[in-house]
Parts: sequence; C-alpha cells; structure tokens
Amino acid sequence: MGIFLCDCGGSLKNIDFPKISGDLEKLEDVAFIDISHSLCLEEGEKAITSRILSENINRVVIAACSAELREHKFVRLLEELRFNPSLLSLANIREQCSWTCEGDVTEKATELIRMAIGKARLLQPVERKNVPVNREVLVLGGGFAGMKSALELSRLGIRTTIVERKSTLGGKLKEVEGFYGLETSLKQMLDSMITAIEKDNNIEVLTSAEVTRVRGEVGDFDITIGGGRREFSLSFGAIIFATGYRTEILPQDFELKPGGNIISQLDLVEMLRAPEKLKRRPETIGFVLDVCDENSRLPTLSSLNNVLAVREKLGSEVYVFCKNLKVDSEGAEELYREARNRGVVFLKFDEPPQIYREDGRVTIKAKDVLLGEEVVLLCDLLVAEERALPPEGTKGLSSMLNIGTDSQGFYQDENVHLYPAASARKGVLFVGGCRGNLDLGRALTDIASAVMGSYSLLALGEAVVEVEKVRVDPEKCRACLTCIRACPHGAIQLLRVNTEKEVAQISDLACDGCGVCAAVCPAKAINFEGYSDEQILAEVETIGG
Amino acid sequence: MSMGTDNKIIAFCCEKSAYLAADRAGRMRLYYPDNVRIIRVPCAGRVDALHMLRAFEKGAAGVLVMGCQEGACQHLTGNLRAKERVRYTASLLEEVGMDGARVKMVNLGPDMAQKFVRVVKDMAEKIKER
Amino acid sequence: MIIAERKPFEEIKNMIAGYKRILVVGCRTCVTICWAGGEKEVGILSSQLRLQSGRNGNELSILEATVERQCEKEMVTQELGDKVQDIEAILSMGCGVGVQTIAEIYEDKPVFPALNTAFVGMPEREGLWIEMCAACGDCFLDRTGGICPVVRCAKGLLNGPCGGTRRGGKCEIDPEKDCAWVLIYRRLEKQGRLDLMRKYYEAKNYRKVKRPGKIEALEA
Repeated sequence: MGIFLCDCGGSLKNIDFPKISGDLEKLEDVAFIDISHSLCLEEGEKAITSRILSENINRVVIAACSAELREHKFVRLLEELRFNPSLLSLANIREQCSWTCEGDVTEKATELIRMAIGKARLLQPVERKNVPVNREVLVLGGGFAGMKSALELSRLGIRTTIVERKSTLGGKLKEVEGFYGLETSLKQMLDSMITAIEKDNNIEVLTSAEVTRVRGEVGDFDITIGGGRREFSLSFGAIIFATGYRTEILPQDFELKPGGNIISQLDLVEMLRAPEKLKRRPETIGFVLDVCDENSRLPTLSSLNNVLAVREKLGSEVYVFCKNLKVDSEGAEELYREARNRGVVFLKFDEPPQIYREDGRVTIKAKDVLLGEEVVLLCDLLVAEERALPPEGTKGLSSMLNIGTDSQGFYQDENVHLYPAASARKGVLFVGGCRGNLDLGRALTDIASAVMGSYSLLALGEAVVEVEKVRVDPEKCRACLTCIRACPHGAIQLLRVNTEKEVAQISDLACDGCGVCAAVCPAKAINFEGYSDEQILAEVETIGG
Repeated sequence: MSMGTDNKIIAFCCEKSAYLAADRAGRMRLYYPDNVRIIRVPCAGRVDALHMLRAFEKGAAGVLVMGCQEGACQHLTGNLRAKERVRYTASLLEEVGMDGARVKMVNLGPDMAQKFVRVVKDMAEKIKER
Repeated sequence: MIIAERKPFEEIKNMIAGYKRILVVGCRTCVTICWAGGEKEVGILSSQLRLQSGRNGNELSILEATVERQCEKEMVTQELGDKVQDIEAILSMGCGVGVQTIAEIYEDKPVFPALNTAFVGMPEREGLWIEMCAACGDCFLDRTGGICPVVRCAKGLLNGPCGGTRRGGKCEIDPEKDCAWVLIYRRLEKQGRLDLMRKYYEAKNYRKVKRPGKIEALEA
C-alpha cells in the first residue's frame, strides 16, 4: 500500500511527520510513505499520480484534512488514474487531530493513520458501472403542482405522463376563487396551463385514471394504471406525487355542524362569486381560525384572502378570532396588514372560543388575550376554519409504494431540513399540497427541487452505480425479511436468484448506503464494502495496540 | 492491554452530522481530550452491538455513538435504531458487570461543535471516575 | 418456525464456569431468523464472555462457529469437524434439537444450551414472535377456520368457548387475550361454515405414547 501524509502547507506543526514515517516504514505491506505539503493542490496531485503510475500498489492511505473536504477530489483523481477509488482509506489528522489536540498529537495522528491502514488492508474494489434508466417521469395528480412540474420537465426535454383521478385537470385551482394580490385570475392561469399542456408533445395526460400497482425501483418503475375498464402497465424512471390536499371542517374542531349560518371557506367563496344573489347581506361576519394548532398555512392564507374579499365585495364588518396567525408565507404578512388597514378586527384567544347558535345568529365567546377580557360577538355568519388534510387514497398509495406518512398523514419527507421534496425512496418525489404545510411560494420551490431532482437522476438516460457495494450473500441469506423491513429506502426485495431460493436482493441504484441492513442482518449475510463489519472492526481493534 | 489504551474513547460518528461537528470543533480550535478516536460511519444506524462490544474488548473505556438529531436522519430511522442498540449494548455490559453508562447515544447537528466537545468531555470525565 | 431466546447471561456464565477453551456455535436456520442464535448473536455472546472473563482475570479462549442447520449431523460435522479437538466444552446457540445433535456427535464434550427453546411460531411484526402451533400431532385447523384453540385458548378447549368469555370477546383467564373460540366463530361465520360449530370432537388421547414423536416416510 502507498501512504501519503499531508502537512497542510507545513502548518500542522504539532505533528512530527518524519517520526510517523519512520514508524510506519516498518510495516511489511507498506510500499512507500510520502510527505507532501499540499495533496489538494496541483503539486500534490502530481505526486500521487506519479507514484500510482510507477509503483505497484493496490491500496492507498491518505492522511490529511477532513474527508468531507477532500474525499471527492481524491476519488476523482484515482478514477482518472484508473485506480479503483474504493481502495482508498482516509485519516483525518487535521480537523480531528492537529487542531484539537493538546497532548501528544503525533501519537494520536499515528494511531489514526494505523486505523486507516487496518481498514485499507481489508478494502475490496467496487466496480462503477453505467446502468440505463428510463427518462420518463410519472406525475401523479393534475392540479397546479402536477401540471407545473410536467411543464417544467418538458422544458428540460423530459417526457411526462400526468395521471389524474378526476375527469379534468385543475385540482384546487378549479375550486378556489383567487389569491388576493395575484394579478392573473386563477381561471386564466388554469386555462393557459391546460392549453400549454395540450400543445406539449412531451406531456401525456390520462384522466379518470388511477395507479393500481407499483413495482420496481428508481430508473425502472413498473406502474399499472387503471382507468374505467382498462388496465395497462407503463415504465417510468421517477415518480412525482402531486396529489394535493382536501379541506374539511372536522367535528372535533367545531362542535356545531356546518349549515345555515356556519359555513366553510369554500361556501364563502361560492357566495362571493355572486354576491348580488344574496337575499340579505350579512352585516357581521366572524372567522374562527387556529382551533387546531397543527393546521397548515393554506387555510390561514385562504382565510386572509377571503377576509379581504368580503370587505371588498360585501362591505360587512369582519372579526377574526385567531390564536397564532401563521403569516410566514410569502405575502402573508402584507395580507394581514392590509386586512387590518381595511378595518378587519383581529382578536387573539388562548382557550378555544365557545360557539353557539342563538336567535338565528351565531354567538362567539372568547377571552381576548390582549384585552384580558371576555369578548362576545353576535354575527350573522360564521366562517369556520377547515383543516388541510391528506387526500383520499393517500394511505393506499403510500403503502403501495412503501413510503411513509407523517403524523398528520401527509407524505413523509426524507429529511425535512435537507431534502424537502424527496421521499425516502430514491426516484419518488413530492410536490405541492400533498406535502402538508404549504403555500404557493413553497409549492413553486418544491416543484423546482423535484424537477431538478428527477432531471439530474434521469437526464442522461443512464446512471452511475457502484455495483454490489452493499451485497447480500445468497448462501447466508435466510430470507428472514429483516433487512427488507428495515431498509428506509425500500431498496431491498425478495427475489429468486438464478432460479434457486428466494433471497434478499439490494438494488444498486436505489440503495443510499446507510448500512442499516448490514447492521440488522442476523445471519451476517450483508457485506457493505467500505463499512463492512471487518473493516469497522479493523479500525476499532487498532486501539488495542 | 498496552499502555495508553486504558481510557480511549471510541466515537462512532455519522458522516452527516457528528463527523462534521467534529470538523467544526477543529476549525474553531476547541480542544477536547486526546484519547478520542473518531470512526466515520455513513449513518449511526450502521453501528452494531458487536462493534461497540469489541471496542470495550480492545480496552476502550467509553463508546459514543453520535448521529443526527431525531427526525433529521436522512435515512429516517437510522439514529433511532442506533439509540435502541446502544440501550441494548448497555444492558449487555451490565450483564457482564460493567457500567452501562460507558456507552452513550448522542444526537447532534453538523454544526454543533460545542455539543460535540461537551459530550466528549463528559464521557472522558465519567470514565476517569471509574 | 422454532422460536427461541437467549438464556439470562448469569445462567450461561455459570454453565461454562471453569472451562478455559470453549466453542460457541450458532445455527443459520430458525434461531437466526428469530434473532436468538445466528452468527450475529454468536459474536455478541462471545464478546460478552470475553469481556466477563477479562474482568475477572479468568482465562477463556473462545472459538466461534455457525452451522447451517444444527439438527443435521452431516452439517454439524462438516462445520465443526476439526474445530472441536482442543475444546473443553461446547456452548450451543441452537434450539434444543441442535444442542442434542451436537451432544450426540461429540459425546465426550459437555454441550451446554445458551438458548431456551420456546415455541413454534411466527413474527407478528419486526422483532415480535408469537406462538401459533402446539405441534399436537392431530391438526384440526380445517374445522376451526384456521385458528388453533390448543394454542390460543387458555384452556385448550376443543369444542367451543368455556362460557366465561368476557365482554369484548376477551378470555376469562387472560383479559388481554381474545377468546379463541370467539375468533373461530367469527371466522367460520365469514366463510359460511358455522355448522362446524355443532360438531363435537373427542378429547385428545394422551395415553397413547406420544413422545418422543416419530415419523417415518414411506418413500425413499
């Protein structure tokens, strides 16, 4: 093996490099030890290159700064030199040694390098290969998010198929009156999107159709679609969920059933479309929001929009009872201020208000937190807050695809902080209302993420995989299903290998390299190259001297 | 057991969180005990009871398993599995008469250098008392 | 399949007390699947034993091995053949059958069971195994809609509920359990076979020598 030590431009002064070199030279399987000032710069690369081309080594150990910074670079260099990068082992002697150590830094550095050496001895080459992937994307749901995703992907040259459960495209765009402040009317937006889609050769639309079965992995999802009496299978490289949300007034939020003068936001929107048809203009309208803490931003936004629309179209007095008005969406703060400027009164409560019908009107009783007093409002109309809920069929779809749902039933993101539009399964992405807490601005960002995500996965028509980096030994596998159940990415399936017994098989493309399967396997049948039990133990055992 | 192995702490660090937090501690020049040996893993969920026990067999005095904060694991439940395994390993240690507190699960984010240093120092203190 | 669990460590420790060279041998079949005695558990138990002996200053060297199926003589000898030579005692992490098979092959070596073989069962979910079959040798699941009252009825009744079923269809003896016969009734009802509930079956004849069970195949 070849060992390269880097002293970071001579700055790692508390490490005695010649001493380390002297110690390690004694090891039998070390071909050479080079001390460099800057492995990351051209000079260092040249040194590595010349050594690899001239010496007969089959493992490389590099002791330098953090793997986080430099691993990619070294890997790329080794690939260029046709040296399998899986045979590289790294030791962090800068950030995790020289910079934080007060005592015998050289001893610590030496041990860290020995750990890397111990691991290197056991490393095996992993082949990198290109596998073909299907460039087409399935978009589930033909609402705003779904249509926009398809249009954006088409611009990038990716063909999509929109599968919409209802008989027409549009989703919530057909039901909502508008967004106050948005210039285009939603109807116009919807019409222009549908026209664009109809004209677009890259987009196919299947309405009154639903997905009934999903098999396969990213790059090659085998989807069965049923519509009416037909059923057929199509193959896609990735799936974008744009199934939207539904709204409902939940009985636990409002004890009184809607009806008469307790209406939903949707009812209000209907009313506002044709205010002249009202028999009597409601003089006082009360809104009650935030009864459920967990509620999404969407109902809050529509409430604020509707409040302004009421002032404009009906001129009624409007009182809004709220707890924590969520105005962190783009434009929401302005809406709130505008509403206040227009005379809408906001009352903040802590305990949910009591609501009851009295003499043909509705009474709302709540303790205003700021006033410290109880406020009683008699209003002609009460607009109740709806909850944004996952659409029907979410449970079925999520179990069909083996993706999780969060505590409210919306699709579970892979990592809420880092990869918001992605699911735990590679190639399955979520956009729009079906992700839960959302507004227009965020939806647009999601769409951009998902589009770029699927594009980068599929654009080239092939993907690079590390072949059998995590591999199940079919001899040892007992098909106990533990790894299949444990894999967070749904990358393992039970398959018949060479017409013999059924064993677990890991998809190279779908695998995300977490190693959970290797850890849970009771038969120790899974080898994770680079982090196998033996390789990790080799590092552990080095400390024993 | 050779000299100097007596109070080593092995810290299995998830490459998405703890490993980065340790790097940050380095950039901030925050000193922590020299006897810590960081082993990089792709996810805290990769760490098995076997790895933790072997560390003790080889003379480690303490083992830390450091992963992402709950709810933030890229692999969804890797850190939760790690937590369970650490608990299990602690019970295995108790069975052989060792203090289960020598193995500990830690959750942190990639920028939490201070926390990294603090937990490492805490473990170093704890094992000194034995 | 056979479900087993590891004995308390204290018990295992006492079994091998005094021996200096032992072989810990697991099995790749049933006990691997129920996470009790596969290669992984062999590693973990061996690790614990080494830690234990290290702390007490005892000498203990452990050889680890795992057999494909401990209940097959050929497989045992194939895997363990030469390994047993210098061994003083064998700690088997197989089910009771495995322990006895090894003991029979290596008669001069003490063979100790590291597991308690519990029952014949299945995983209800990841990590949870429940008993499903009593191996009574006289299966009548055809008449009980596929639900076994020998296992699932606390009293093992063969002819309907005892009459003490609690509200909600719970067992008189164990209120956490469903009354097996309520479950059977409902299942048969779904299948339109309730007439089976009117058939009466004799109690099992335990006077006939049943153990050890023996079955011989007619075909070669």
